[in-house]
Parts: sequence; structure tokens; C-alpha cells
Amino acid sequence: MLRFLCLSLVLVLVVSMVGCGGEKDELVIYSGRSKALVDSLVSMYQEKADVSVKVKYGSDAQLLAALQEESDQSPADVFWANTTGALGNAVNNDLLAQLPDSVTSRPARFVPSNQRWTPVTTRFRVLAYNSEAVNSEDLPESVADLPYHDDLEGRIGWTPSYSSFQDFVTAMRVTAGMDSTEKWLREMTELSPKSYTSNTPMIRALAAGEIDAALTNHYYVLRLKHGGAEGEYEGHEDEEEHEEEEKAAPASAPVDTYRFQNGDLGNLALVTGAGVLQTSNQSAEAQRFLQFLLSEQAQSYAANRVNEYPMVSGTEVPDYMVPVDRALTLSPEFELERLQEMDPTLDLLREIGAL
Amino acid sequence: MTVARAVRTMRVRWYVTLPVGIVLAGVLVPLGYLFVRAFEADLQTLSDLVVRWQTLRLLGNTVGLAVGVLAGTTVLAFPLAWLTTRTNLPGRGVLTLMGVLPLAVPGYVMAYVLLATTGQYGTLAQTIGVVLPRLSGYDGALIALSLGTYPYLFLNLRTALLGVDPALEESARTLGYSRWQVFWNVVLPQLRPGYLAGSLLVGLHVLGDFGVVSLMRFKTFSYALYLQYAASYDRIYAACLALMLLALTGVVLFLEASLLRGLLLHRTGSGTARRAVPLELGAWRWAGYAFAGGLALASVGLPMGTVGYWMSDTVATGLPWGSLASSLWASVSASAPAAGLAALLATPIAYLGVRYHSGATQTIERIAYLGYATPPLAFALALIVFTLGAVPAVYQTLGLLVAAYALHFMAEAIGPIRSALYQAPPNLEEAARSLGRSRLGAFASATFPLMRRGLLVSVAFVFLSAMKELPLTLLLAPVGFGTLALNTWSYAEEAMFGEAAPYALTIMFFSACFVGLLLMREQAATAREKEVG
Repeated sequence: MLRFLCLSLVLVLVVSMVGCGGEKDELVIYSGRSKALVDSLVSMYQEKADVSVKVKYGSDAQLLAALQEESDQSPADVFWANTTGALGNAVNNDLLAQLPDSVTSRPARFVPSNQRWTPVTTRFRVLAYNSEAVNSEDLPESVADLPYHDDLEGRIGWTPSYSSFQDFVTAMRVTAGMDSTEKWLREMTELSPKSYTSNTPMIRALAAGEIDAALTNHYYVLRLKHGGAEGEYEGHEDEEEHEEEEKAAPASAPVDTYRFQNGDLGNLALVTGAGVLQTSNQSAEAQRFLQFLLSEQAQSYAANRVNEYPMVSGTEVPDYMVPVDRALTLSPEFELERLQEMDPTLDLLREIGAL
Repeated sequence: MTVARAVRTMRVRWYVTLPVGIVLAGVLVPLGYLFVRAFEADLQTLSDLVVRWQTLRLLGNTVGLAVGVLAGTTVLAFPLAWLTTRTNLPGRGVLTLMGVLPLAVPGYVMAYVLLATTGQYGTLAQTIGVVLPRLSGYDGALIALSLGTYPYLFLNLRTALLGVDPALEESARTLGYSRWQVFWNVVLPQLRPGYLAGSLLVGLHVLGDFGVVSLMRFKTFSYALYLQYAASYDRIYAACLALMLLALTGVVLFLEASLLRGLLLHRTGSGTARRAVPLELGAWRWAGYAFAGGLALASVGLPMGTVGYWMSDTVATGLPWGSLASSLWASVSASAPAAGLAALLATPIAYLGVRYHSGATQTIERIAYLGYATPPLAFALALIVFTLGAVPAVYQTLGLLVAAYALHFMAEAIGPIRSALYQAPPNLEEAARSLGRSRLGAFASATFPLMRRGLLVSVAFVFLSAMKELPLTLLLAPVGFGTLALNTWSYAEEAMFGEAAPYALTIMFFSACFVGLLLMREQAATAREKEVG
């Protein structure tokens, strides 16, 4: 036993020595996007650009907290975020460096005027519902009227602690004002919505019949129905996946996507994005990675495997997705830079007891 | 046993002072960090955040859940510990292994499995047509946590039951006590340190759990706290919540300490203790099997079976062997050294607490437990600030991760060692001293062999916990370091259960092998003892 303990200690020392050797020329990415969704993309880049890339995965907020505590000693070169609010927060804390036009001219839309980050993919807010339990014709035209849909009482789910929901509330606060947002939230709580920590368990609950409607992002429904990001990217749909889908189908309630009327806040477009950190000592290499994320190859991967909308024009989306232009007309006109001020939103959510 | 004596001992003995220093620093650094962050806000904001109904609700939920899980784990662990130590039930070794394995199932996996099992579209409804309401809230959290944490209590009770000197029971029997009276008056009091150590771990685990309560949507302190760090950008409110959680932990630790006061359980006679004569169960054997089997089915069979089912699709398309192997190596290379280091650090702390029982040594032990209760995300952020300020070279190295694991999980290692020490007579060591051994030598030759069983359990606890760990790994691991737990979580978070399953199963299988190996060593040790005795 004593020998075992001593041996393991020696092992610690030896292995930590090995771990110490941080190579100078490797690109370090802090990714709020989950490993499951982007790992193959990173491997693709490594092979293509022949550089060593290391990724630290976490939630946006965790990585932001780490970046702030690391301050100027951070080893990170790129911050790749899952949400617009996180990017705004990084700009507010002066973490991101300005990007050259060679990067920011690629996306067709949503580039912030400060050019501190670039949008990479788009997602849309939607209402997911159980098509057996809810008739879509009864659903309101605007998300603003959702609270008056009494028969959803106790049957609707939301994610007050999740960033895209908070971005949506911020957008409502910025467009409709503080008072109406508070009113909407309070009226929503009267429907006694079920709070989930993130969209995945909420969609599972919808599929399990625990709730009948859920305020979520569009791709969660698509991934539930079409498999989505599975396995290595091969550039075409796997036939086996369709078989699986049919097999798995009866094990869940029928879930569908509902979109509110054109231009409604309930269909808001949000983006994922990335920026180069001011502490990076190889910003040219970091910018090259961002350019890769906006390349045809990476954008098509996002559309086919993650079911998010591409940011550069001309990239096809799978048939089962609403076409890009149609999805964009559904979303209201909104400057995404205005999503920076998260604090009043958090205060509001706390005040109504949702957080 | 005065404070002065303890302090003098600590000054002379580096092998005590050093670990104690490390442990104190490991707890006080994060505490300092939290205070600094919390008091960045002005007092008005602070009191607005802290003094509100939400806080009281969180407190009620947290305490309610902890009490419920304590009751639940007691009901599960007590009979199992007794069956596997005091009866002649064939297959006790397997049942013991089954009683440890739930520790290898990550909490969130257990929660996802229970969610997938119940409800109108759940596995139960699909396979045998039984529709149970989909678990959630208090009940869901209670069931998932009880099934996942009873091994802490089981193993501590088992160690204690094996250590009880049967001579005492036999004396009581000859004095006319019935079997039941013996159990109540002689055996139970001896189990108190083990029970307290186990229930303390269960309690602290519940206070700190996020994975289960978030999926079951039951709002406790740690749930609220995790949301602040993981989903919002508010480090100040997070720090407030962390401090409130620590205060609550402090109360629990104080309660446990006052229940432990004045215990003396070791043998005072000469010679070594025998094993107790096992009870013949007879026809009751089947009741024993039914209980142990049902428990193993719910806590090990169900998660393994469900995860295996999720994996069936992935098997068809080919398993990611390369990634599995590298993740397994990453997990083991961090968890195994951490388990050893934690046991090394915990030994002097437990030793001081048992042999030099005083206010000071008790405080040290309690402080070590506080490290377990420090929310891991806060702990990780504090370590980032500390290492970058003091020793930037170790930042994001494996060494730092191992140290972080060891400091965080050390509390799990203290209990079993402490229980073993309570039952190891100090006069053996004194005799060794009088025969000319040094202090360290006397400890190594006289007391250490008696602690072996406790140490094995300690190492197993820390290893299993470290294999499942997430938040510390996320923030402190070297960049690009992908453990099994990180991969499991990453895929499960995106609802890609088929992809998550191989990683989760590898955690469970590897942990099972590791624990099996430890138990075999223990049995070998027991066999040796028998030969000598």
C-alpha cells in the first residue's frame, strides 16, 4: 500500500513535467461550443492547415470567468462562443481584439460595427410543441400573446437560466421596453412554466410528454427529429440514420416546430461567433482559423451536422430546414450588438423569481 | 492532549506539518477568493441578493433533500453492510462490489437514465407496459441521489463492522444480553464514527450536487450557484451563494463533530481481534438476496443496461476506439495519482484528529471537509488566480489538476482512515516506540497495517470521484485534455446519448475493475490476518 502511494506520487511528478511543455506555435481555442458539435471541425482544420490546435471546452460563462481571472496571462488565442450575449460581454470586458476586413467581410450579415468578433452561424428562436396535444392553429401569432394561452398552463417549458433565452429577453427589453418585458415575464409565470437548465433536457421532456410546448432554438427540434450531428462528417446523409430515426420514433411524443408571424420577436435570429483575444501572441494564425470557420466547408458542416444556418451566402441547407431567406424574414430586424447589457435582464429574471 | 502539545508535535514533525499546511492552504485560498469577489459589491447590493425569499426557499429545499437522502441511504446501506459482513450469505464478494459500483455512475447519467425509464414514453412503458409518472422535483432528486451515494455509507459501515472486536459481543452475550440487545448496545455504538463519516459524505455530496438536481429541476443552493457560474455572468452573486453554501456546510460539520466527541473504540487487551462468527441466515437467505439483488439492479443494472442500450446504435457504426483509449488514459493519469495523494494527505489529518484529539486538531479536520464543500467552480477559479499569481509555470498542467482533485476530494479519504484509526490501539505504537522505532517507523510498522482496509476504501472513493469529475477538469486541465467524463457530458449535453454511451460505459467498467482489484487485495489481506491469527 505504502509502495502504491509512493509510486503514484512519483507518477504525478513525472507526468506533470511532461504536461508542462506548452508548445509555442500551437493555437489555443477556448470554445463555448460543445466538443460533441465541433470536434470534427477542429480536426478538419488541423489536417488542412497543418497546425496544432488545442481546445478547452466549457460553457460560455465559465470560459469568460476563466478568461477574466487569467487576465493578461491567458494562453488562449481564440474565444469561440455559443451565444451573442457572451460575445457582447467579452467586448464589454475588453477581451477581444479588432478583426481585419479579410475576416469580417465574409459573413453576409450580423457583423458588429466594432468588428471585435465575427458571426459564424445563425439560429432562430422557435416554439416547439407536441403536435398531438396542441393544435398549431390555436397558437398565438406573436410570442407577446403567449401568456394568454391559458390551456398551456403547467404544460409549457422555458430555460430562464440559459443564454439564448436571456438573449431573447434582452432583445424584448431593448425593443419593447423594461415595463412590458416585466409584464410579459410575470404573466408567463402565471402559466407556471417548468424551468429547465438547458434546452436538451427540455426537449427530452417534450418528447417524453412531460410538457407540450417549449420556448427553444430551432435546431433542438431538428436534431431530435433528424439525428443531426452524429459521427464523422462525410459530406452526405447517412442512410442508416434514417432507419434509426424510424426505429426510435414511437418512443417519443410527436414534436414539431411552430413559428410566430413574420418579424415577431419569438422568431428572433441569434448568432454564434468567434473573436481573437487581445492576449493572443499569434493573431494572424487565429484569424486564419476564423476564416476557416467562415469557409464553405465549415459552413456546410454547420448546416448539415449541427442544423444551424450558414453565415456566408451560397451554402445549402438540408431539405428539412426552412430556407435561409424565409427564416430571416420571420425574424425581426434587430441589431445584435444591442445584446451586450445582460445585467438588467438578469435582475429582471431574479425579480420575478425565475432565476 | 493539549493544544500546546499538538502545536509542538506539528512543529517537529514535518510529515504532519506539511500535509496540514497544504490542506489549510487548499481550503483558505478559495475562501479568500470568494470573500474578495463577494465584497466587490457594495453592501446594499449584497443584502438585496442575500436577504430575499428565494434564499429561504433554497435553504429549505437543500436541507429537506439532504435529510431525505440521508434517510434513504441509511435504509439502503445498513442492511447491505450487515449482510456482507456478518452473515454467511454466499456471494458476499460480488454483493460488496455491487455496493460500491454506483459510485462509478456519474450523477447526471443516473438522472438521465431515471428520466428515460419512467414516464409514458419511458423504457418501462415500452418494455413491460408499466407507466410510472416521469420522475422530477424532490422525488426524482431523492431517488437518484440515494441510489448514487449510498455506497459512501455502505463502505464506511462495512469497514466499521469488520473492525468491531467480536470479543466484546461475546462478553455481552455471556452476560445474558440477547442478540438484538447486543446489536443495539454493543455493535451500534461502535458503528457511530463510520456512520457519521459516511453520512457526512452523503450530506456534503447532496449539498454540492448539481448534475442530478438540475435535471430533476429541484432548486437547491448548488443548483442556483451553478446557474450563476454556468449560465449567467455574475461572479458576485455566485460568490455570495457559495459563501452561504459554505456556512451551511459549516453547521453540518459542527453537528457531526459534536456527535463524535469522546469516542474510544479500540481494543485495550493484548492480541489482535478475530473476525466475528458469521450468522447462519437459513431461509432468510432469500430475503437477503432479494434486497441486495433489487438494490444492485436499480443502482447498477439499470444505468448500465440503459447506457448499453443507447450504445447499440453506435456499435453498428463503429466505436471510437482511439478517442476512448486516449480519454481513458487522460482520466486515469489524473485520477490515480490524485487518489494516492489524497490518501497521503488525509492520513496525518485523520491521525491527528484521532490520537491528539483537541480543539485545534478537530478544527484542522473540519477545515479539510470544508474543501469538499467548496463549490468546484469557485475552487477552480480561485486556483486560476492563485497559480497565475504565485507559480504561473504550473497553470494548466496535469500536476495542478491532480493537486486540485486531491485537495477537493480529500474529505472522502478522511472518514475511512479515521474509522480504521479509532479501532487501532495506540499502545501497539507505543510498544514499537519503546522497542526503539522512530515515530514514523512505529506508525509504519504498528498502526499502518491496521489502517490498510481504511486506506483502500479511501483510495477507491477518491479515484471514483475523480473519474467522474467535471468542473475542475473543465477549468484546470491542460488545454486539449479530454477525460472520459468530459466526453460523456459533452455528448449527453447535446442529447447525443448514443455517442456519450461508450465513454460512460468505459468509466463504469474501468471503475468496476479498479474497485474489484482493491477488494481482492483486501480479501488477500484478510486471509493473511487469519493465518497469522
